[in-house]
Amino acid sequence: MADNRPRENSLGIAGWVWAGNYTLERYLYLLHRVTGLGLILFGIFHLTATTIFRVQGEAVWNATMEFLNNPVFMVGEFLVVTAFAFHALNGLRLILQELGFTLGKPVPPIYPFKDAIRRKRLWTLVTLAAVMVLVVFFFIDFAAGGPG
Amino acid sequence: MKNAYLNFAQMITGIMVAVLLFIHIAVQKLGVILSFLGFKISDPLAFNSMMERARQGLWAGIYICLLAFGLFHALNGLRNILLETGLSPAKMRTLTWLIIIFGLIFFALGTYVPLVLLTT
Repeated sequence: MADNRPRENSLGIAGWVWAGNYTLERYLYLLHRVTGLGLILFGIFHLTATTIFRVQGEAVWNATMEFLNNPVFMVGEFLVVTAFAFHALNGLRLILQELGFTLGKPVPPIYPFKDAIRRKRLWTLVTLAAVMVLVVFFFIDFAAGGPG
Repeated sequence: MKNAYLNFAQMITGIMVAVLLFIHIAVQKLGVILSFLGFKISDPLAFNSMMERARQGLWAGIYICLLAFGLFHALNGLRNILLETGLSPAKMRTLTWLIIIFGLIFFALGTYVPLVLLTT
């Protein structure tokens, strides 16, 4: 039977950050992974707060909201929203790329030609710009105190 | 082949989570901008406001769908990362089952509470 195990990553987690000659997209991949893990961690806390503490009535709910209503959690919440904006839009870019929507018209490989990553670079920059716009929207609400 | 199907499911659930989570976050956190656009939201974290949403089937449906898609996307993503660590297939199988059990427990908890609140 064929061995389906992935190639051994001899650099370990350090190799996520640096293995030489990484492009912008490779760092976005790292950021996608880190924000994903962060969102899982937040999700566990969030799910606990919105189930166990929500079902016990008004007093417990108000006490939970009172506990969470401090600057540390507010900034943390803004970071979570930022991570979501990045993870969602970068994920959309990855899906569009995987399905071939960002490939563009085929061109003959005549020197000097652009490689596949650089031909998709515009999409990457558009994604980052959209993330910035979304984060600014969330920041306006965060700075204004928001409803929560 | 199994991983190809999982990868496809990861993409589909990713899109679903992005849409549903944006609705969720917009209602909870974009009050200032939404009120500027004409949608008035009165303190979404207040108990009465929260219960009002919890008693509507639409919101319960949105939350349960978000939970199902979100749990799959998160835990499958975690498994994808773990697959890269080069663990033996036997250990990976054990970890996969642990992840599935963890997901089912959280899905049961996260489904039970909206259903209870729906009827209170």
